[in-house]
Amino acid sequence: MNNNMLVTRRRVVQAIGSAPIALTPFLQSIAAHAAGDENALPKRFVFVVKSSGIDKQNLLPSSLPNPWQQDRDAMVDVPLMENNLPDNLAAFAELRDQLTVIQGLSGKNFVGNHTAGYGALSCHHSEQVAVAATVDCILGQHLSAGPYRMYGMAMNGPLLEQYTRGPQDSYCYPNLSASAKGRPVAYQASPKKAYLELFGSAVASPEQIRQKLTLNSNLMDFMKDDARRIEKQLSAEEKDRFSHYTDAFESLRIREQKKVSLEESIKKNAPELTSKYDSSVPSVRMGLHFELATAALITGLTNVITIRPDTLGIIYSELGINQHVHALGHLGDGKTANGWDGPRARKEIDKLHLNYIAKMAKRLKKVPEGNGTMLDNTLIVYLSCAGGQHHDGQRDWPFVLVGGMQNKVRSGRYLQYPSYQNAGHRTIANLYLSLMQSAGIKTADHFGQLDAQLKDLDLAGPLSELAG
Amino acid sequence: MFRYSFSAVLPQRVSKLVFQPIVVLIQILVAAHCTTEVLWSQTTGQAVAKSRDNQEEVGLQEDVIPLLQEHCYGCHVGADAKAGLKLDELVTTPADQETADMWLRVLQTLQFDEMPPPEEERPDPIEKSKAIIWIEHQLSISELHASYRLKLMNPDYGNYISHELLFSGTIKTLPFSPSRLWRLSPQIFQHKGIRDAQSPFSFITSERGIRDYAAASGVDQSTVEMILINTDQLLDIWTREGKFDSLADDKSMPADEHLADMLKIEFRRAIGRLPQPEEQAKYLAFLRKNMADGGNLDGFKTTIKAMYLSTESIYRMELGLGDIDSHGRRHLSPEELTYAISYALTDSIPEQNKLIREAITANKLQNRDDVAKLVESILADGINPRNTPRVMRFFEEFFGYNQADKVFKDMSRVHQADIKQWNTNRLMYEAEQLVQYHVNRDKDVIEELLTGNRFYVAHPGDNDIARQYYDEVIQDDYAEQKVARRIADFERAKRDPNRPQEKEELARIRQDAESRSKLVKMAFEDGLTPFPGWPYEQKSGKPVRGQTDLIYIAVYNLPPTHRKQRQVWEWPLEQPFALPADQRAGILTHPAWLAAHSVNDGNDPIRRGRWIQEKLLAGVIQDVPPDVDANVPNDHHKTLRERMEPVRAERCWRCHRKMNPLGEPFEIYDDWGRHRTEVYFDQDGLIVHQRGKQFERRLAEGEISPRKVDATGMLLGTGDPAVDGEVTNAIDLMRRLGRSARARQSFIRHLFRFLMGRNEMLSDSQTLINAETAYLKNGGSFQAMLVSLLCSDSFLYRR
Repeated sequence: MNNNMLVTRRRVVQAIGSAPIALTPFLQSIAAHAAGDENALPKRFVFVVKSSGIDKQNLLPSSLPNPWQQDRDAMVDVPLMENNLPDNLAAFAELRDQLTVIQGLSGKNFVGNHTAGYGALSCHHSEQVAVAATVDCILGQHLSAGPYRMYGMAMNGPLLEQYTRGPQDSYCYPNLSASAKGRPVAYQASPKKAYLELFGSAVASPEQIRQKLTLNSNLMDFMKDDARRIEKQLSAEEKDRFSHYTDAFESLRIREQKKVSLEESIKKNAPELTSKYDSSVPSVRMGLHFELATAALITGLTNVITIRPDTLGIIYSELGINQHVHALGHLGDGKTANGWDGPRARKEIDKLHLNYIAKMAKRLKKVPEGNGTMLDNTLIVYLSCAGGQHHDGQRDWPFVLVGGMQNKVRSGRYLQYPSYQNAGHRTIANLYLSLMQSAGIKTADHFGQLDAQLKDLDLAGPLSELAG
Repeated sequence: MFRYSFSAVLPQRVSKLVFQPIVVLIQILVAAHCTTEVLWSQTTGQAVAKSRDNQEEVGLQEDVIPLLQEHCYGCHVGADAKAGLKLDELVTTPADQETADMWLRVLQTLQFDEMPPPEEERPDPIEKSKAIIWIEHQLSISELHASYRLKLMNPDYGNYISHELLFSGTIKTLPFSPSRLWRLSPQIFQHKGIRDAQSPFSFITSERGIRDYAAASGVDQSTVEMILINTDQLLDIWTREGKFDSLADDKSMPADEHLADMLKIEFRRAIGRLPQPEEQAKYLAFLRKNMADGGNLDGFKTTIKAMYLSTESIYRMELGLGDIDSHGRRHLSPEELTYAISYALTDSIPEQNKLIREAITANKLQNRDDVAKLVESILADGINPRNTPRVMRFFEEFFGYNQADKVFKDMSRVHQADIKQWNTNRLMYEAEQLVQYHVNRDKDVIEELLTGNRFYVAHPGDNDIARQYYDEVIQDDYAEQKVARRIADFERAKRDPNRPQEKEELARIRQDAESRSKLVKMAFEDGLTPFPGWPYEQKSGKPVRGQTDLIYIAVYNLPPTHRKQRQVWEWPLEQPFALPADQRAGILTHPAWLAAHSVNDGNDPIRRGRWIQEKLLAGVIQDVPPDVDANVPNDHHKTLRERMEPVRAERCWRCHRKMNPLGEPFEIYDDWGRHRTEVYFDQDGLIVHQRGKQFERRLAEGEISPRKVDATGMLLGTGDPAVDGEVTNAIDLMRRLGRSARARQSFIRHLFRFLMGRNEMLSDSQTLINAETAYLKNGGSFQAMLVSLLCSDSFLYRR
C-alpha cells in the first residue's frame, strides 16, 4: 500500500464526475419535469411495520355500523369523508383524498409466534429465516438510485420480554426484510448512528470526512489485495464465485462515493442534530426515525425505507402506560397506570404511529415535485407484522396507505374485502402485487406462497379495486 | 496453542489445473475403458486435439448410436417419429444450439429413465451411463448448456451420476476433491461466539436436503456488509468497555511492541489462530498507515475490520498444501486437515477441540492412519449433539425429520382431529433420540433406521436417568424430599428459605410434587408404571430435555393425558421400546418424519415418494415442468389417493410413477403420523376428519361408515428382484428397503456428499465402495463407514 492511495475528497469527486452514477432523485425530478414526463418522476415507498397487530375496529369509518360479522360476502368500498374518519385517522383530515384504508385481506398461511416475521413482507411461512425477497427490498432494488437500495430503522430489544435496559443502540435484525433468500437486511436501531450514517457529512468537518473516506478506502484496498493473493490459486469456476466477494468491496466504495455526490443535498436537508438523538424514550426515538426517513427521501439517499416503530418488549411510558406491548395484548379489562384498558391502550399506540405518519406525509406534501408534490409520488404503507390483533389468525390484516403513486393507486377510499374463503376475498399478496405494479415492476400472477385453504378462489393479480 | 498459516506456502505450491467435474468424469471413463490416458492429459497441441476429435467420433459411434438404435429408433425415426424427435438425424456432436437442445432432450430422457416406456426392455445401466457421460461431456465442451453443467454442482442433482457405474468396481481412477474455498457455515459462525451477532452466512441450498455445499456457498455484498455491521458493533462494545483505552486519540502512538500484542489478540479472536511473522508484519504496517491517516482508535478499528473481512475468517481453504503424489494429487497439509476434520464432525474451530489440538501439537496428522486414529478417538466420546453436532446434523438433513415444525398446521384442525397437543419440537427430538441410539449402538445402523419398530416416547433418552426420575417419584415422601432439596439449594446460595419469595417457591414445589404423588398412586392402582415427568436440567452430566406430561402422544396411537389427568398409557421405563410391528417400521414411519413430509391439510404422498426415490434409490426425477398445475383438486367426497388419480394420465405418469407408488403406502398414517386402517365418510359421502368422543358416538350410531385404506404401492429400481415388487403398505415397503443394497448405497452417497460438501464424481467410486465394505465388514457399523470416508482419498487429496 503506498501513500499515493490516499484519497482526498477532490479525488473522490473527480472520480464520481467521470463515473456513470445515476441521477439523484432531485435532479431526476427536474429532468422529468422539463421533459413533461410524470412517469419518470422518482417513486418512493415507506413501510411502517408495527408489532402486535393493528386493531381493525379503530380504522372503521364511523358511517359503517358493525361490519365484523364472521362471514361477510360483500365488498365494502366507501369514500373517506371528513365526517366519517375514525378518531385514529383524524390527523389525516386534510389528506383524506390521499388516504386509503384496506381491511379484510388475509395472510393466514404465514403466521408465527406473535409475528409473521419475514412472511409479513414476503408472503412466505418464514418467521425467523429469510426464505425469499420481501416487497420493500424488491421495490428498493427497482426504484432506488441513491447510495442505499433500501434503508431500515427499528426499535431494538428483546422480542417478547419487557425491556430492562431500554432500547439498544445497534444494528438489529427485526426479521422483516430480506433482499433475497438467505439475505436478511439489518436495521439501524440507533437514531444517532442512523443520522451519522445518512447525514454524517452535514455535521462533520472536512477533515473528519476526509479521514473517514481514507480509512474506508484503505480497508477496501487492503481487502482487495488480500483477495488477489488467493484468487491466483483458484480454478476458473471457483474464481467466478470468489469474485462476488471481491466485487463487494468495490460496491461499498461506490456507496460512499454516491454519498459524497449527494453532499450538497445532504447539507441542505439534514435534520438538526440535537440532544434528542441521545434519548432512550421509545416515542422520541420513533419520532426521530420518521424525521430521518423523511429527510433521507427528500435528500435522495434512498427511495424505500422501512420503519419498525416498536417491538413487543417496549413500554410506552410517555403515554402513561406501564405495561409492555406484549402485556397490553393480554390486558383485556385490566388497567394501565393511567386507567386505560387493553384495547384503549393499543388504540392509542396505533394513533401515535399514525400521527407520525401524518406528519411525515404533510412534510412531503410541502416539497414540490413534477406538477405536484413529493407525496404524490410516495406511498406510505402502515401495517403490522402480526395482522389485525395481538395473536391474530391473520384472516383480517389491516393496511393504511397514505400518499400516491402518480395516480396509479386509487385513494380516498375505505375498502373491505369479503371474509376469508368467500368469493371476492383477497390476500395481502394481492396488495403487494398492486404496489409493485404501480411502481412499474412486471410481476408474476402471484407473490409468495399460496394459501391451500384458498385454492378454490382466483387469487391472481393485483387488487383491481385499488387500481387508479 | 498451535500456529500455522496458509499464506506461507500458498503461492508456490498450487498448480494451475483447471477443474471441471464433467471433464474429469470423461477422463475417468476413458481411462477406465482402456483408451489412451495421454489423450486427456493436461498437455495441449494439435495432435491431441485431432485425436480428441476422433475420440469423440468413436464415442458417438460406439457408445451412443448403438444404444439409440436398439432402444429408441423403434419409435423415433423418420417423418412420423414420435414427439417429433428424429433420432436418426442426430448424428453429430452438439455443434449448434439446435443439435445441443436435441442432445439435452435425449440426455434427460435417459437420466430420468423416462424412455423407453416401462413395458419395454430397459437398456443395460452401464451402457446407458456411458452414453450419458458422452452426451454430458459433449454439451460441456460445446458450452451450449452451461446452466445444465452448473446445475450438476447442486445437491439436488447429485444422483445424476450413474449409480451402477459408481458401485460397479470397474473404475480404477484414484479419488480426489477439487481444490476449493468453502465458505464457513452459519453453525460454525455461531460457535465462534461473536456477541449478539447474526450469522452473515446462510445457505441457499434447498431446506430439504444436504445444505452445506462448497459450490453453493456464496459470499456477496450483503455478506460483507453484515460482517462489517457485526464488527462495528463488536468494536463499539469493546470501546465502551475500555479495551482500547490505550489507543485514545489524545495519546501518542503506542510502541510497536504494544501494537503487535494487541494485533495478535485480535487476530486470534477473528481467525482462530496466531498470526505468522509475515502476517503480523503486514497487519502492523497496515495499522500504522491507518493510524496515521485516521487517528489511533479509528485506525486500529479499521485494521481489525480487515481481519474479520479476510478470506480466512470467511472461508475454509482446502487447496491441498501437503505433498504431491505421483498422480498429481496434493495431500491436505496437517493444518488443512485440522480444519477439515473439525468441520466434518463439529462446528468448532480446531483449536477448541482437545483431541485435534493434541494431534497437531504431537505432529500426528501426517497420513491416513493418523487421521483414522484422530477420528476414532473423537467418535469414542460418543455421537451426540454436543460432541459431534455435525454428524447428528447429517441425519437431520438426510431424513428431514427436523422440518416437522416448518409445515404449518391450522390449530382448528389439531382440535378437530383430537390430537390434544401438536408438539413438533418433542417429536423431532424423539426422532433424534432414536438416531443417537442407533449410531452409538452401531450395529446394522442403516437397516435399523429404516425398519426398526422400537421408538422413544416421553423418555429422557437414557435408561439410567429415567430410572433415577422414576425412583424419586415413587417415594412416599417425594414431596418432602423435593422441598428439602430445594431448601438445601437455598442454603448453599445463602438465601433465607423463610423470606416470602422463597416460601412461595417452596409451597409451589410442594404442591406440584404432591399432585405428582397422587398421579403416581393412581397409576399403581391401575397396574401401570407411573410416568415421572422431569424438568430441563443437567443430570449425570448430560443435558435432559424436560417433559411433564403425556399430552402429545396421540400421534403414536397412544392415549394422551395431561399433567393432572389420570395416566392411561403403560409408560415403558426402558426405552427404546417396541411399538406394534404392524404399525411402525423405521424413521420414515416416525410422526416427525411423516409430519415433515406432509402439507398443511393432509399427507403428501408425492413428496414422500420423491424422498424415497431420491434418498434411498439414488433415483432422479426431473424438475416440475413449468406448465404443470401442482395443485391437488379439492373434493371432500374423495380420499387423497382418489383425488390424485389424474396424475395417472400418461403425460403425468412418466414422472409420477416414480413417486406416487412409493408415497401412497404411507396412507396408513394420517398427516399427524397416527397409524390408521380406515378412513371415514358421513351419510352424504363426505370424508370425516373429526375424531374424539363425538366421532365415536356418530360411528357407533352408524352416521359414519368406515372404508379400508388403500395403501398399496410398487417398489421398482432397487436392482434386486427379491426386493422390487408390489407392496401392501409402508411397513412392507420399508422392510424391503431395509434389505436393499441400493438403499444402503444411496445412504452412503448422501453421507459422502455431506462430508465432502459436493456431489460425487465417478472418480469417487473407490471411496464409496470402500465405505460400503467398511460398513458391512463391521456388522453394519456407521462409525466404521464414517472413518472410512474421512480417510478416503476423496477427503484427503486435492487436485
